[in-house]
Amino acid sequence: MRMIVCIALAMALVRVAAAEPDEPYSQADLTQLPIEELMNIKVSTASKFPQKTTEAPSSVSIITAADIKTYGYRTLADMVRSVRGMSVTYDRNYDYLGTRGLGRTGDYNSRMLLLVDGYRINDPIYDTAPIGTEFPVDVDLIERVEIVRGPGSSIYGSNAVLGVINVITKLGKNFNGTEASGELASFGTDKERLSYGHQYENGAGLLLSASRYRSAGQDQYYPEFNAINNGIAHNLDSDHYGNYFGKLNVAGFTLTGGYSKRDKAVPTASFGTLFNDPNFSVSDGSSFMNLDYYGEMSQHWDASAHLFQGRYFYDGIYPYAGAPVTLNRDQANGAWWGTEVKLVGHLEKHKVVTGVEYQNNYRQDQSNFNVVPYALLLDDRRNSKREGVYAQDEITLGNGLLLNAGLRYDQYSSAGSATNPRLGLIWNPVDATAFKLLYGTAFRAPNVYELYYASPGTQKANPDLKPEKITSYEFVVEHQPWRNLRITADAYANTTSDNINQVIDPADNLLVFRNSGQVNARGVEFEAERLWDNGAQLRTSYAWQISRDVSSGVELINSPRNLAKLNASLPVLGNALRTGLELQYTDKRKTLTGASAAGHLLTNVTVLSEKIAKGMELSASIYNLFDKHYADPGAPEHIQDLILQDGRSYRLKLNYRF
Amino acid sequence: MALKKLGKIILALLVIACAIRSLNVLAAPPTEYEVKAAFIHNVTKYTEWPSVPAYTANTLRLCVIGQNPFGIALDTLKNKKVGGMVWEIVPVGSVTSPKECRVLFIAVSESGNLRQILDGIKGSTVLTIGDTEGYAEQGVMVNFYLEDEMVRIEVNMDAARRAGLSISSQLLKLARIVNQHGGMP
Repeated sequence: MRMIVCIALAMALVRVAAAEPDEPYSQADLTQLPIEELMNIKVSTASKFPQKTTEAPSSVSIITAADIKTYGYRTLADMVRSVRGMSVTYDRNYDYLGTRGLGRTGDYNSRMLLLVDGYRINDPIYDTAPIGTEFPVDVDLIERVEIVRGPGSSIYGSNAVLGVINVITKLGKNFNGTEASGELASFGTDKERLSYGHQYENGAGLLLSASRYRSAGQDQYYPEFNAINNGIAHNLDSDHYGNYFGKLNVAGFTLTGGYSKRDKAVPTASFGTLFNDPNFSVSDGSSFMNLDYYGEMSQHWDASAHLFQGRYFYDGIYPYAGAPVTLNRDQANGAWWGTEVKLVGHLEKHKVVTGVEYQNNYRQDQSNFNVVPYALLLDDRRNSKREGVYAQDEITLGNGLLLNAGLRYDQYSSAGSATNPRLGLIWNPVDATAFKLLYGTAFRAPNVYELYYASPGTQKANPDLKPEKITSYEFVVEHQPWRNLRITADAYANTTSDNINQVIDPADNLLVFRNSGQVNARGVEFEAERLWDNGAQLRTSYAWQISRDVSSGVELINSPRNLAKLNASLPVLGNALRTGLELQYTDKRKTLTGASAAGHLLTNVTVLSEKIAKGMELSASIYNLFDKHYADPGAPEHIQDLILQDGRSYRLKLNYRF
Repeated sequence: MALKKLGKIILALLVIACAIRSLNVLAAPPTEYEVKAAFIHNVTKYTEWPSVPAYTANTLRLCVIGQNPFGIALDTLKNKKVGGMVWEIVPVGSVTSPKECRVLFIAVSESGNLRQILDGIKGSTVLTIGDTEGYAEQGVMVNFYLEDEMVRIEVNMDAARRAGLSISSQLLKLARIVNQHGGMP
């Protein structure tokens, strides 16, 4: 309540300050100014919609670097939470993304393809799309994020089942100097970053950056464990990460590399471990190198090529009851390389995209052992290859009609082959309006974790898994009556089949992955975006969705029927301050026991000053402003049916560029 | 409890409404497109045409192709003169072909058709301008970009030269020079 009075007071102040004219140039003067002076005018830039770069005909949400600052986004999960029809579930270990009625807990986001500058982040062991603190790139280095809804396998292959998240990072020229950044936040959290970027006279650019994050976390209370330490997991929610990122671009070549490692303590005693044991923690790390080439081959054809190498490692320490406590170590090691060549042709009535992709997973190892007394429980070593070939043609039919047709064939040494089409009929009767009718299928090959992982007493393997599939129909209407107002409506019907779900086998009480039936998901989404010339922005959306298991007719768990979002950003005191306000409503969600996680409304506020002093930028954020107590549904590996989320928290961030 | 929640939501909405209202009285800096309109005026001053088609000999015909991002910002050019000629602002449509323009602004919405547009005006003396990343590398002569919220220009010299346009060195020394492949000039 006091907070609201504060905001109202601030608004009143704004009105007073606005009475003083501080406009340096009136409109009429501008054309009379010499270019040197025009180049020194700071402009408000928020008055146009960013354009998508993704080739597929889909519904796309774009988060820009400006949005990341304005709304105080800390992770990709924060961004995903803010867009139409998406939600995030956190089990105090990993963040899980839900979209279009499907939000499988415990799936490591394997049905979402995550790309960084075109490089596939999903690892070849768990297919993880890391969107929490384990995402390998500092969010401050992101130029934009394109969140693409709907199946993308016709271009991108496996994992692009529910969509594609394409992260585009900054270039050296975006920094042009050194930037130091420091953050302080609730729950004993601090973060530091040092970045250097430069563009050389010859056009080459260099970006180097290092970050460190440490969070002590809070004691977590779980009534299910009241018998042990009164249900309190003490000092078991810490989160530490470090990451390094570099990019060098020369002419048509870009070399990008990164390394990251995150250590997370786990308070939930998942996987039947001992509650409140200080040893329970997981580490996830990855490294990558990606060499990109982009160039024009001829007047009508562009070529791009990638050559990449990646590594992923995971190490979990799981304490099990016994005297003394048995420490069990669960490890995974992945290493791969691959290449992709893509051609884009701009012909008279055709825009053609075609390419081939190859990936060699030369290491897909999983192991599990007890430390003392030593006992090796799993030592599974695998390797595999995949190849894909795809083509897409966007044909101008005339009268504002476009036909987009794409097809991709994938061959997996571990899981057979898959063919996935995509068809889009796009009609622009007038410039301001577009109707899109979309059809597509996508698949995800089972990964080595789902196929081969086994741990005595907890989980068993299932080498007979088949790929899971999705078939999607979608109708989209986009209307932009003015250049600064855009309205989108869409309706979809998705059917997923042969879903790979982790279930408990009643015969032996072990966790196992099974292809389990079919799910129908239906939904409608609405979104309106408005921009003002002075830089104010408003984006609001509503999504209704329902998903049911076809054979039983039962509604899926962790699937909210209603989602509503509002993002508003306002310049205050001229351009001195910018405020970002977010409201996110998530409807109640069914849990595994058939109970439900209550619906909740979250409010986040950020105030940003981009020029508190020369080169200095300061922002303050409050997340969950009204201290709403809410919980996310647990997964089969949890005793808890509900996992409580953070209450109100703060963050203060200072950037200094020199 | 429910009532209290509702109260909070209403208050939050009121704050937004009040804030949006207060925007109208704020003295805002010039918008991006007001400044870009002034840039177009200035760039034209620094450009020399070898010859121009008869229908644009006495006016400066500025065409916008694609979704016009300027809004009312181009109105500031009305009645302004360069070399004794006044601006005439027309959208590209069925009446005007891009070849019949003195200056052609290619909006970001046309990024998918850029190649066709540039092919279509080949051999003419149209000054092409854009404000989309990559446009200069793909053959647009003058392209605006933002650096630290200030408008900057990049010039594709080869593209201007091919059309026979000469851009004054006074302008070039303020611009970033790019060539077709984005590398060194």
